[in-house]
Amino acid sequence: MTTAARPLPRDLVTATVRFCRLLRARGLAVTPVESRDALRTLELVDLGDRSEVHRALRTVLATRPEEFPAFDAAFEAFWGGRTAPVPTGGPAEGPAPLVEAHFPRARDGALDFAEWTDFGEGEGEPVGLPGLSDIEATLGKDFSGFGGGELEEVARLAAQLARRLATRRSRRLRPTRRRGRVDLRRTMRLSLTRGEPVELARRERKILKTKLVVLCDVSGSMDLYSRLLVQFLYALQNQLGRMETFVFSTRLCRITEELKGQPWTAALARLGDVREWSGGTKIGESLRAFLADWRRLLDRDTVVIVLSDGWDTGDPAILGEAMSRIRRRAGKVIWLNPLLGSPDYQPLTQGMTAALPHVDAFLPAHNLESLRALAGHLKP
Amino acid sequence: MRDEIRKIQALMEGAAYITDPAVSTAVHLALTLGKPLLVEGHAGVGKTEIAKVLARMLDTKLIRLQCYEGLDTATALYEWNYPKQLLRIKLEERETRSVAEKEADIFSAPFLLRRPLLQAITEDGRPPVLLVDELDRADLEFESFLLEVLSDFQVTIPEIGTISATHRPHVVLTSNRSRDLSDALRRRCLYLWIDYPSFDKEVRILKTKVPGINERLAGQIARAMQSLRRMKLAKVPGVAETLDWAAALAALHADHLDAELVRQTLGCILKEVEDVKRLEADLAAGRFSELVEG
Repeated sequence: MTTAARPLPRDLVTATVRFCRLLRARGLAVTPVESRDALRTLELVDLGDRSEVHRALRTVLATRPEEFPAFDAAFEAFWGGRTAPVPTGGPAEGPAPLVEAHFPRARDGALDFAEWTDFGEGEGEPVGLPGLSDIEATLGKDFSGFGGGELEEVARLAAQLARRLATRRSRRLRPTRRRGRVDLRRTMRLSLTRGEPVELARRERKILKTKLVVLCDVSGSMDLYSRLLVQFLYALQNQLGRMETFVFSTRLCRITEELKGQPWTAALARLGDVREWSGGTKIGESLRAFLADWRRLLDRDTVVIVLSDGWDTGDPAILGEAMSRIRRRAGKVIWLNPLLGSPDYQPLTQGMTAALPHVDAFLPAHNLESLRALAGHLKP
Repeated sequence: MRDEIRKIQALMEGAAYITDPAVSTAVHLALTLGKPLLVEGHAGVGKTEIAKVLARMLDTKLIRLQCYEGLDTATALYEWNYPKQLLRIKLEERETRSVAEKEADIFSAPFLLRRPLLQAITEDGRPPVLLVDELDRADLEFESFLLEVLSDFQVTIPEIGTISATHRPHVVLTSNRSRDLSDALRRRCLYLWIDYPSFDKEVRILKTKVPGINERLAGQIARAMQSLRRMKLAKVPGVAETLDWAAALAALHADHLDAELVRQTLGCILKEVEDVKRLEADLAAGRFSELVEG
């Protein structure tokens, strides 16, 4: 199945390399290897057939359907011309709306993170102020009263939690001296020098790390807590290999990449581009969007944490249904509610009532002590 | 469209796989660029079938590695034949050969069990098709190991040394996206996303796979499947369900659909109790015609 390669015109080569650069700028992982493959691909397809060129380049340059919209837009923008839709789209054409994996650029009025300590009011949502009379020690101090310098304490706590998480057993085996399954391969080696296979080498299941998926509410009513909680998530994200973080208010945004592997200030600057902050709350819709696009993150080894006060302006039935579906797929579902720190808080909001039957643990998250207590619940 | 792509399309359809330009283009590129093809899509849209058809089309062997959690190199790559080794050790008990000699003997090729990956790169004759099925079920460690094999096409066995590929197999990997595969692996592959088929494609699939199905029934089934997939069910039915359903209807000698028949055969297409309840309610409310007319 060989194809006679025709040499490509020089300007087409240049154009293709520039197109690859454009894709890279739009967040696709296009390396020189892919650029080279793209050039070879153009020799293998009918250059007069625009949709064939589109299909072929997408096969080579995109690596997941979430990238298709970005690829298609870049292809349109770069190669211009007609707007013939390609009939074989990604899941965007399916029934579920696609969550934007990459952040939309900030529109007007993006939140200034430098002012994150100046607590503003959300869009008419109630602002809870529980536990203000707590002990003034850092641990017991309510996040709503936190200033700036507690990052270290938060980071230390995250490290502790991460260690606690690393205590589950995998189905893979590793050598052991204790009881375990017989390891025939090592037994055979031992018996060569000792004659009979009497000394059995054994294997046991190795320790497996728990996977975490965190869905954090950053709507107006959560403003008082968002800063500290996101700081905590930032610290945790950089401790755990298998953690995915999302924020939502009326829409869902994945912020795993934004939090990972960079200083807190840089992470903050990138988070500033997210326009979800301090809006209204549609928890049910956001969780449904999570299920539509990120369901594959859920399995029996995964603990899902929803961080929210439960003030939902959407349909509580949607929230209940989404929670029940998450519960069925995940190992464990934990709901952290900052308001639970207040002695007279009752989870009576419609959203909270709909969600609670589908939650394995309902815990407070208003101070560092409550986050520390979380460790005991983090095993699926 | 390039003739080569058209030819592949014809070959695949000749092997009873109804395809579209996206699939045939991807297969064409995988064959000519010599890169593995990563196929993703919902359950039951015919991902695995691509590898089978490819093997039939190229008239070569299909070697399949089914992934599961805990899959390790002993199952995927090679394993020593322990009973045979034991027997040999026992037989040679009284021989005076040195341990080193005995060891070299029992850790040699005749005692090696070739598992799918090793088989695929050492197969005699034409390059086979290697199908790594449901890679998302295997764990991350296995994925990185596979990446290594796929980039070097050689395998090192401590007791024997390095075995290089006699040829590069055509590699097809499938994933149901129950877990996200690593970027490194994705970059190594060409990517094909298979969506649910369009109405026309599904009718063609039905006519190919269910011989003797009449035009009207095929149209009604395909239409109903399109409506069902728009309903946001908990478990959206794929092409596999379509074919099961068509087979069930054929067994019932049905030549067209009606509400009662749909109710009786619901189990072929819907696999979650809430979905079944929902459709039953719709049917009870007399919404059958909406289902088959779209």
